[in-house]
Amino acid sequence: MSTLLEVSGVTVSFDGFRAINNLSFQIGAAELRAIIGPNGAGKTTFMDIVTGKTRPDAGQILWGGRNRSLLGLSEAEIARAGIGRKFQKPTVFEDQSVRDNLLMALRNPRGPLAVLFYRPGRADLEKVASIAAEIGLADALPRKAGELSHGQKQWLEIGMLLAQEPRLLLVDEPAAGMTPAEREHTTGILVEAAKTRAVVVVEHDMEFVRRLNCRVTVLHEGAVLAEGSLDHVTSNQAVIDVYLGR
Amino acid sequence: MRESFVARNPSVLVVLAALAVFTILVTLASEALGAGLISTSLVKTLGKTLSLALVAIAMDLVWGYCGILSLGHFAFFGLGGYMIGMWLMYERTRDIVVASLAEAPIPPTEAEIAAAIGNQIFGVVGSSEFPAIWAFADSLALQLALVVLVPGALALVFGWLAFRSRVTGVYLSILTQAMTLALALYLFQNDSGLRGNNGLSGLQNLPGVTAPQSLVSLWFLWASALALGLGYLAAAWMVSGKFGSVLRGIRDNEARVRFLGYQVERYKLAVFTFTACLAGIAGALYYPQAGIINPAEIAPIASIYLAVWVAIGGRGRLYGAVIGAAFVSLVSSWFTGGQAPDVNLGFYTVKWVDWWLIVLGLAFVLVTLFAPKGIGGLVDLWTERRRPERHGADLGPDPGALREKEAVQ
Repeated sequence: MSTLLEVSGVTVSFDGFRAINNLSFQIGAAELRAIIGPNGAGKTTFMDIVTGKTRPDAGQILWGGRNRSLLGLSEAEIARAGIGRKFQKPTVFEDQSVRDNLLMALRNPRGPLAVLFYRPGRADLEKVASIAAEIGLADALPRKAGELSHGQKQWLEIGMLLAQEPRLLLVDEPAAGMTPAEREHTTGILVEAAKTRAVVVVEHDMEFVRRLNCRVTVLHEGAVLAEGSLDHVTSNQAVIDVYLGR
Repeated sequence: MRESFVARNPSVLVVLAALAVFTILVTLASEALGAGLISTSLVKTLGKTLSLALVAIAMDLVWGYCGILSLGHFAFFGLGGYMIGMWLMYERTRDIVVASLAEAPIPPTEAEIAAAIGNQIFGVVGSSEFPAIWAFADSLALQLALVVLVPGALALVFGWLAFRSRVTGVYLSILTQAMTLALALYLFQNDSGLRGNNGLSGLQNLPGVTAPQSLVSLWFLWASALALGLGYLAAAWMVSGKFGSVLRGIRDNEARVRFLGYQVERYKLAVFTFTACLAGIAGALYYPQAGIINPAEIAPIASIYLAVWVAIGGRGRLYGAVIGAAFVSLVSSWFTGGQAPDVNLGFYTVKWVDWWLIVLGLAFVLVTLFAPKGIGGLVDLWTERRRPERHGADLGPDPGALREKEAVQ
């Protein structure tokens, strides 16, 4: 399996505190991966590093078949290279309609001039409609995103990610605050998405991770503690100590 | 599937129609071409108000839509005025000098004419040399180009430095205040080349035009109305499509726009520069009607007024900016012009000239607290638009984010 993203030996400190400590991580081109770990394990910082929000003190991040380094690229450049990110809190543009939210995310030229003269064509509108159907918001296209329920906003944000057509999706706690039925739906969307691209899900909820049925990476104190199937890592003594012991 | 531009922006038709009706009415009531109901000075005031509405549109684009609270856009407005003022003053002085030297027994040389013009213009600051910045003052075309280019270039350099370092929120506002203050202080110097605190004067006289002021004032009113109409159309077109979506996204949640792959800094720079050019055009229309420009015009307070107009009119909607600028500046000139009758309370006489600023400040605070949609919000009462109920929270995490109470629809 070809490697899409390779993080090696990355270290980040905030005021002397090592949030990420010599972390190495790989993911293939079409793979679903869950990252779990206790609070402060460095899950969100890991996403910040990959998406360019935080610069690592040391280490390498290589991307794609040609092993391009992501260090030194801006957030926007990394996003255009094909890495999409979903935040823990649903962040959609509440003042704008669902359709405008999706149109903005659609994979199209991002320069100011191209955007200024952009008018949505039939192909783009159809794409928006199909994504809206996939995330269960087909009837909500003209509604303002601010009117949506919490779960619908989460889906809209996932839909915006899909519209970006990223090769790697980083998803931070997608099931937080969702009802069981909504979780079910979210699981389906993520598993489906992972058939054609890499998806990394950060999650606290073991039950949700079990449903994803994928390889799991356990982070602890900024480094990988264990990796493998959920059953494998949950039977690992070190993991049990971190999660349950002490 | 998508409606036409006008259907999505019904305000465009209303504003353009209102503007046309207003212009025709003023023309019909003017002294030059109509019944003489409106004095020439009132025509000028109305024309100036139209150009203030244009700069308010610029402010609304940059603040109401993009979330950049610029407190320096009057610097660009003033620069536009200075650029057109240089040509007006040069050409008019030249006409006068040529006319007076024509009676001399020996015909004057070009050098003598130039020296005499320089003496006339710069005598007040103890100089007679033309500074380098006046190099193009004899060319209307070039000075008109500079009306757009000089504010644009200043905004481009300033914006590039500020946005690249990701200065946002109140810090950016302070920087823009510093910029306009620095520019005003520089222009106050006699050796700045623009006549120091005397500024440029006699701008109401068009060189080579013998028409009376009553007619010239109408020309400028028409030009201001045309510029406002075109500016409104351009701004409405800009914000109606995806570009507007991205701008509002930047206003409400800049980081999210970045993670979508948009280079936020470039958008901010583009909007900042474009609105600076728009402000320059507005200034070039305003100051010939005012007749004089001096550095006090670009003092920091002027740019703050601009923000107050847009806030009172309702930010994030273009007609709000137009209404706010027109309403507040007209009421303001009524109060400060000594036309408002004093109120005698027995123990104290309220003189509106002194008290107007306090009334305006109070109105600003009250509008911000209790009617964040401003005057433009009254339109919503009429159209009964629905909006998400989020209990007045911000629509995004950024300091410039629209509050739910302000949101249209």
